Amino acid sequence: MAHKNLEEAIRAAKSPVKMLRDSQIGPYAFPVVPSEFTNWRDEQRSWRETCALFDQSHHMTDLLVEGPDALRVFASLGVNTFDNFRVDTAKQFVACNHDGYVIGDAILFHLAPNRFNLVGRPPALNWVQYHVATGGYDAKFERDERSFVNKGQRKSYRYQVQGPNAAKVMQAATGKPMPDIKFFQMSTVDVGGCKVRALRHGMVGQPGWELFGPWAEADTVRNALLEAGAKFGIQRVGARTYPTSTLESGWIPSPLPAVYTGKEMQPYREWLAGTSYEAMASLGGSFVAKNIEDYYLTPYELGYGVFVRFDHEFVGRKALEKLAKKPSRKKVTLAWNGDDVRRTLGTLFSAGRTVAKYIDLPLANYATLPFDKIVKGGKTIGLSTYTGYSFNERSMLSLAVIDEKHAKPGTKVTLLWGEEGGGTSKPTVERHKQIKIRATVGPVPYGDTARTAYRPK
Amino acid sequence: MAAPKNFEEVLKRAKNPVDMLRNSQIGAYVYPVVPSEFSNWRSEQAAWRNTAVLFDQSHHMVDIYIEGPDALKLLSKLAINSFNNFPVNRAKQFVPCSYSGHVIGDGILFHLEQNKLVFVGRAPTANWIQFHAETGKYKVKIKKDDRSPGNPKGKAVNRISYRFQIQGPNAWKVIEKLNGGPVPEIKFFFMGTIKIGKKKVRALRHGMAGAPGLEVWGPYKDREEIRDAIVAAGEEFGLKQVGSRAYATNTLESGWIPSPLPAVYTDERMKKYRKWLPANSYEATGGLAGSFVSNNIEDYYVTPYEIGYGPFVKFDHDFIGREALEKIANKPHRQKVTFAWNSDDVDKIFASMFQPGQHYKYIDLPLSNYASASFDKITLKGKTVGASMFAGYSYNERSMLSLGIVDPDIKIGTEVTLVWGEENGGTKKVTVEPHKQLEVRAIVSPVPYSKVARETYAEGWRTTGKA
Repeated sequence: MAHKNLEEAIRAAKSPVKMLRDSQIGPYAFPVVPSEFTNWRDEQRSWRETCALFDQSHHMTDLLVEGPDALRVFASLGVNTFDNFRVDTAKQFVACNHDGYVIGDAILFHLAPNRFNLVGRPPALNWVQYHVATGGYDAKFERDERSFVNKGQRKSYRYQVQGPNAAKVMQAATGKPMPDIKFFQMSTVDVGGCKVRALRHGMVGQPGWELFGPWAEADTVRNALLEAGAKFGIQRVGARTYPTSTLESGWIPSPLPAVYTGKEMQPYREWLAGTSYEAMASLGGSFVAKNIEDYYLTPYELGYGVFVRFDHEFVGRKALEKLAKKPSRKKVTLAWNGDDVRRTLGTLFSAGRTVAKYIDLPLANYATLPFDKIVKGGKTIGLSTYTGYSFNERSMLSLAVIDEKHAKPGTKVTLLWGEEGGGTSKPTVERHKQIKIRATVGPVPYGDTARTAYRPK
Repeated sequence: MAAPKNFEEVLKRAKNPVDMLRNSQIGAYVYPVVPSEFSNWRSEQAAWRNTAVLFDQSHHMVDIYIEGPDALKLLSKLAINSFNNFPVNRAKQFVPCSYSGHVIGDGILFHLEQNKLVFVGRAPTANWIQFHAETGKYKVKIKKDDRSPGNPKGKAVNRISYRFQIQGPNAWKVIEKLNGGPVPEIKFFFMGTIKIGKKKVRALRHGMAGAPGLEVWGPYKDREEIRDAIVAAGEEFGLKQVGSRAYATNTLESGWIPSPLPAVYTDERMKKYRKWLPANSYEATGGLAGSFVSNNIEDYYVTPYEIGYGPFVKFDHDFIGREALEKIANKPHRQKVTFAWNSDDVDKIFASMFQPGQHYKYIDLPLSNYASASFDKITLKGKTVGASMFAGYSYNERSMLSLGIVDPDIKIGTEVTLVWGEENGGTKKVTVEPHKQLEVRAIVSPVPYSKVARETYAEGWRTTGKA
């Protein structure tokens, strides 16, 4: 049953950890897009070998913020600098709570003077919307829910063209070479007779573009891209494959929003609906702490240290100034031991025995917020937060945050897979036993190509 | 070159229908619209064995309504089944054959009202019925309600009817709770009505997963109201909704083969039909997958005897294929069996995903088919002795299972070899990544496989053919 607001939901559940770990909502949804266009192995190969077309029109929420104070709202909440944030540029906006823990991150597009669009999972957007709605700013917002929530149509389509042939595909689709713009800058191009805004991107380690425009033109633009891309091996990527691309590029999509505790955050919790992402999200995995704050992560731990700029006032600044001087856990990629993964899947084929938690391929998350324990020498040394299989690397990979002294590539660690006591009551969890999986620490991004060519600026 | 006008033209251009189907670009056979998982496919499979399930069959099958004074005459002419004693409120598993006595398809035929019937199943049978209704001299009208699109692109989906099944050991308790009291005995494949919420709905007595259950249907607009009522009533009995990933695997335990290759690609007598069939029909666009390769498409055809429909064949009426079937009726037939795959060999296939180099064809769990029709070679001592035609994983049996056929002399319990994957790195089907083949050991096992189904499903049509 839904509560009036997040604060009430937490009170009723007594513990936010328990509330989230027993959530009945399932993993984060990638709706509408078919699960596979060809097969997920070939779809994964396309972003490494030819060109992938991602359809991102459905799984993210858009928050349009407009008005003379719009930039001021973002600057008051973002760890990022807003100096020189011109129209036709974008940035990865990261918002923290007062204690310097990450609430969420999303892509912020500067569309026109005083007009911004924030696109991503709901937590960062909710936090911004709350401030626009209650902060007395001269700005208004318009929210376009992701398709999981929005039963109607989206306002925009959003595609990405990625992979070694992406530039050739874009040239064929627009009839000329793409404008030579820097990472996270935008231009306007013509595709299939439609005006398309293009953000220079590079999600999977190669030059690529994110393209967006009005929903009514979604089919025309997609068909033009597919036609232009056919001879360059463009491959549509289905919903099963899409969310695994980040395993190779290293972005962690699912930090737990740091909103469940703290007196200062209470008015926000009372404002957040009982049906919000924060109230409904499911928390899964072997890492269990009584204190929800043990799940919070800092921008430094998530690899956003380079974004933190003390050139402006923002929520969390004071706390981050202190943290900036301390050692921090580091984001790494874990490559799982193949024999152990095989042993885990193998439990499915032995009659009468308890199975290990099923590893779904290629995306193995079974909660909105996956948190598995990483141990070494009997001690918990970190958290693994996003898990799946990469056909390109022929390996299970997970994105993790671990103690600095164990973060060196090549370090051997152990990940505990599955939940305690046969599993929580989440519907995605069948009764199972926990199993230890050996893993090797690797860099972020993991892919060879990504390691050498991915240069966010 | 102009686009082909019909299926016959598609075939002519393709030269060999086997190559055409084996390299189809259509992708996997989709079970559309229904969410892939409601909880998780392991728990959903376990529920039909241990508690109760709701199958949503509203989307993946074609419905064709046949109405008019000649409706039964037409259907009887196409079916191996007897139409004696087939009054209103009965259903049967309707099986049409080609002139050569090979199966075109099968599905469920409901006798809804006097002179009004509906066939529900895959496209080949519905197409065959439609062809004869439109081109024969029958006083019938037809209305075809195609299956839901595989990719609705966010647009609304509309069908004439919703179709749900309530199945599993607790199904009857759920049904009686919905009905507000005992449900009068309905015999297997007889139809009656029950109460769901404020509605009186029609119901077919079924038993798909080894225990009595019902299939219910009604106007599509009522579907959410009916679903909500079933889910609410089922809660205390552990009823789970089954998603599209688990749904199609239930047949691995009950033993129905959903995907025989329609025997329509050859034979002059079928030419008129092929010219009538559109160029984008299931028959023209479908995919054929697996290690069994023959240049002759007829080697993929099966007779009703081979896939367990021998008991349905009744020579009490005139029907297409009768002459051919009369000739083979008393001969030995290949037989339908379940193959239980060797776990170590399955393990080897998965292990190859975690090593560099060429891997084996990926086994998707729980449904492992990668085309609308599957044919994997079954060998014994190097000789081909059968084919595996529908593969997947059963959490209830903790085993990969597949349904198929073997030569008459192969005994239950025999260890055979199933060749998994396609030759030379694989065909051009979009569902096929480059891979190598593996010989998987498998035990020839009974149909239905599950112990529960074997022991409690005695009155079912799949074991006795009473329908």
